[in-house]
Amino acid sequence: MRPTLPQALATLVVLACAVQAERAVAADPAKPPEEIHWAFRKPTRPTPPDRKSLKPTARVRNPIDQFVLQQLGEAGLEAAGEASRRTLVRRAYFDLVGLPPSPDQVAAFLDDKSAGAWSRLIDTLLDSKHYGERWGRHWLDVARYADSGGYETDIYYRNAWRYRDYVVNSFNDDKPYHTFVQEQIAGDELWPDNLDLDPRRVYIVPAKKRRHLEARVGTGFFSLGPRVHESGLDARRLAYETTIDWVNTTASAFMGLTLGCARCHEHKFDPFTQADYFALHAIFASAREVELPLWTAMEEADWRQAYPKVVAVQEATKTYRQFEARTKGKPLTPEQSARKQTLLTAVAESVLKLPERAAGQAAVDYVGLMHIPTASVLGRQHPALIRPVHLLERGELNKPLQRMSPALPASLAQATGTPAALPQPFGSRAQFALWLTRPDHPLTARVMVNRIWQWHFGRGIVETPNDLGKMGQLPSHPGLLDWLATGFVADGWKVKNLHRLIMNSATYRQTSRFATAKHLAEDPDNRLLWRSSRRRLEAEALWDAVHVSAGTLNPAMGGPPVVPPLAADEIASLREKWHWVVSADPAQHTRRGLYILVRRNFKFPMFDVFDTPVTSVSCPTRDVTTVAPQALWGLNNKSVFRQAMHLAGRVAKEAGADSKARVERLWQITLGRPPRAEESASALKLLEALEQTKAGPLDGSPPALAALPPAKGHALSKLCLAVFNLTEFAFAD
Amino acid sequence: MTISSRREFLQTGGLGFGGLALGELLRNEARGQAASAANPLLARPAHLPGTARNVIFLFMQGGPSQLETFDPKPVMKKFDGQLLPKSLQDYDLAQINTADAKVMAPRFQFNRCGESGLEISSIFPRLSRHADKLAIIRSLHHDLFIHGSAMIMMHSGTRLLGHPSTGAWVVYGLGTQSNSLPAYIAMTDGIFRNGASMYSSGFLPAVYQGTDMRAQGTPIQNLARHKNIAAGEQRMLLDQINRWNRQHLATRPGDSRLDARIANYELAFRMQTAAPELIDLSHETKATRDLYGIGAGPADRFGKMCLMARRMVERGVRYVQLISGGWDAHGDCQGNHTSQGKKVDQPIAGLISDLEQRGLLESTLLVWVGEFGRTPIMQGSNGRDHHPYGFSAWMAGGGIRGGKAIGATDDFGFAAVEDKVHVNDLHASMLGLLGLDHEELTYYFEGRYHRLTDVGGQNNLAERLVQG
Repeated sequence: MRPTLPQALATLVVLACAVQAERAVAADPAKPPEEIHWAFRKPTRPTPPDRKSLKPTARVRNPIDQFVLQQLGEAGLEAAGEASRRTLVRRAYFDLVGLPPSPDQVAAFLDDKSAGAWSRLIDTLLDSKHYGERWGRHWLDVARYADSGGYETDIYYRNAWRYRDYVVNSFNDDKPYHTFVQEQIAGDELWPDNLDLDPRRVYIVPAKKRRHLEARVGTGFFSLGPRVHESGLDARRLAYETTIDWVNTTASAFMGLTLGCARCHEHKFDPFTQADYFALHAIFASAREVELPLWTAMEEADWRQAYPKVVAVQEATKTYRQFEARTKGKPLTPEQSARKQTLLTAVAESVLKLPERAAGQAAVDYVGLMHIPTASVLGRQHPALIRPVHLLERGELNKPLQRMSPALPASLAQATGTPAALPQPFGSRAQFALWLTRPDHPLTARVMVNRIWQWHFGRGIVETPNDLGKMGQLPSHPGLLDWLATGFVADGWKVKNLHRLIMNSATYRQTSRFATAKHLAEDPDNRLLWRSSRRRLEAEALWDAVHVSAGTLNPAMGGPPVVPPLAADEIASLREKWHWVVSADPAQHTRRGLYILVRRNFKFPMFDVFDTPVTSVSCPTRDVTTVAPQALWGLNNKSVFRQAMHLAGRVAKEAGADSKARVERLWQITLGRPPRAEESASALKLLEALEQTKAGPLDGSPPALAALPPAKGHALSKLCLAVFNLTEFAFAD
Repeated sequence: MTISSRREFLQTGGLGFGGLALGELLRNEARGQAASAANPLLARPAHLPGTARNVIFLFMQGGPSQLETFDPKPVMKKFDGQLLPKSLQDYDLAQINTADAKVMAPRFQFNRCGESGLEISSIFPRLSRHADKLAIIRSLHHDLFIHGSAMIMMHSGTRLLGHPSTGAWVVYGLGTQSNSLPAYIAMTDGIFRNGASMYSSGFLPAVYQGTDMRAQGTPIQNLARHKNIAAGEQRMLLDQINRWNRQHLATRPGDSRLDARIANYELAFRMQTAAPELIDLSHETKATRDLYGIGAGPADRFGKMCLMARRMVERGVRYVQLISGGWDAHGDCQGNHTSQGKKVDQPIAGLISDLEQRGLLESTLLVWVGEFGRTPIMQGSNGRDHHPYGFSAWMAGGGIRGGKAIGATDDFGFAAVEDKVHVNDLHASMLGLLGLDHEELTYYFEGRYHRLTDVGGQNNLAERLVQG
């Protein structure tokens, strides 16, 4: 298919018809299957097109290529050749772990001429803990992840990061996707035995319960949405708006459906009624947000013992500081001197009383001790407090019609041959989650397979991954989508195997550096996959690439969000400066981008200009814009210059004194390739010109750089800055 | 233009096919309108001929009282200190019990101004001289009581976070005429109370995001060269970066983002000069500076912002948003509005005169509004609480024929009763004055075509505003 303007016109026609209030038909058994919208029909496993009929046959590496080549053949378009191994290794690193390969890692792959080198590279990257950080971040877009509630107060969610870590771990553990879905929607109802995790009775938690506890953190999915926090508001309205967020996000993320429209009226395009919509609200009626303690009895014992002592240290320190502030700059009277000594002794004594080491842990985390470790998750509402859910006329809270019971959307229940009614008051979420993850569910596997495809190729087989309904785009390769989806389910919903399958295809391994006038005219968006689509690094990947290159990336995983310092002009627009409290430990400032605080009202400024998603609703696909503030960041931002100095220091240390060797090393580190002769010559010329500037020592230069003559240090730092600004640095071919 | 290059343009803007407003696509096709691959902000014609080309949105953050500004209620004097009439006691207010709160009569004199005799409060003596240019709307309304949600409503037409602000929609619809400054600039005399949602592009691509510009120091983040890089060095670096980026591009056909990136480095370079020049008022004459009240007085700060707004419009910035904070008069409404008036009256009056002198007023739409009005009943001893059921705004310039008031609230200024204008209607009318049809200016996101006016709004004002 060649979807251009005519397709848009077709959409318009659909639109016009729908305005006639034609109710779309989903899974009415009386209708012939071809009249049911494709995404609501159970996928059947198609046979890949016959290899022998395809040209060039030799290009087929696996069945993915058979589907792709067939459509290219029909369109009369040839496929691009294979990318160079150098391009492939960089592509694979950014794609699977979101980090550039080191020069050694590039060399290791180039040197491995054996047959399975590519598959082994993929396996190595899938085993890396950084894989979960990369792919977890993709899912966090879908989950509208943020660490604060937005609106005016932008209240901080001190626990949201536990959900983020849960997602990262789930990808790293290759948790089957159906389990991942079940845990997020109904971890508490499906694995209820964790509810008796009573620290007074259970001393050591068995591994199985630990896992169940972990599963419950998945329901943190619901606790981190946008939320108004202000007094003087109607609690009923706030609860309603929270449930709207829950239902809409659930539908977008897991079902690939945009149900928001059905709040106010029958869905104009898809077979969902307002009753379907409010029946989904009813599924959540018995849920309540709770703080789940994440500690064992032993940890509690430690806490009980240590907490008063930590408080005592704080009190003693505070008293001393107050004294110091009062007497600052004045000569002390003898009484004051004595008082000072007493206060200092009190501080010392309180510190000495702290436990050296807690019984259950390797070391005592005193900061951690001040906070009870909990996760914000879903739990049961007290039956007496469950609010009835009504169908609301035009979605308006003050216009309730009939009372609703929890139920599956009728048309989809019918499509899967399931009764629509769900148990109540409890257990409806569990049944909903189990129904969603049935092997024959028409949406769940297709939706996830399509997302994974999109995150590999930049565009989904369906271009609207949160909308597989009638308003969404049609799949560019319907057979391939169903073949992948059915295979995914049969394989136990294993995401890592799906990566292997996709990345081992010739389609994935194509070069992006190919185009003919014919290709560009007939399929300018590369929907038919005649070449690989070049990718601009996402904000986090670009941040990580800068720090990996500079050798400053702190690879620590997990934990509360980190807050890097900002220049005065970057933080100027933030009203409450205390919403951006810089992490005290400088090592935290160079963590991976994934760990940087996500505030709904104040995005990390560099991320803002590089298109991190709006966190108010599920984001299926990030924009990729090209705007001037990106260039200003690269050219002028203080932290970028700081990293350029670190990179210069690293280059000087690793390449020695020879300028040519330095340029060579710089290119290897940042671009994964040696410079061409012309590049090397112009880089040397640039260095020479920059060295002419009179320059003092660089502030804050790392030791390796400070050892250089100032003019050399300046010039090399500026060359490094230039390289950070190369298109090639910010894109993966 | 060919479909191929237009599609590339869309991709460059990060829109993708599904992201493009369908109406826009078809119109572009019909007109064969060109758009540059390197610049998704290229100026483009509106749907219809409008009367305004630029907007200066004067946002009074905190919620100015309609009763102390533009909605005279002499009848309230009689009821000062008494209970509200029974008919008004059923309304739900946020923090005050309507049934037992006392009426507070307006605290300022209203004067009949200009030839039209339009009534304006005495806190705006200088603005009053422009009465014949102002079209006051006295029947604006929505139903949100807290600043956060109400400001989101005023800026993006819905109560929910994540929708594009008005300025972003306007730039999406019209592009920009400036090639060295952002298309949409927001400035505040204090803080953006709602954070970036005040000028956000929401779900529109980031290219339509407002730029928060500061009136002193570095006007835009990352604008100043690093202290270690001399001006000549930066040019040298940029030239080399561009050369390398062009070589990179040469071996990668059919990817317009790579062109766009090079163009944006040059735009960034120009911004480094243009933005500081924009906020540098030293070349403005003393007469001009005095006109805006720039100097030592209370009008200095907002005066500078208003003068900068004129400079922005002169330089082709499409949408300017100025925020004056501090209107949240819970405690002492009279004292608060007296001093707030002194801060903004001369700057705004000066802006209108200056735009007029320079022939810019006809094409520049000025909109003055807060996120809500204030209660006719007393909060504490002399204050008023938030009140969204009936409040005032005004518009001027941009083809508007002034000297009139549209709509009315009841005798107590409690609720809009006549010619009611919802916020969505106000937005629809603003777009209408710019030649944009609010029902056609759409963007596909999350399964449906969104617009600034959500599911409501009608352009019920534009025509009346431009008629005599």
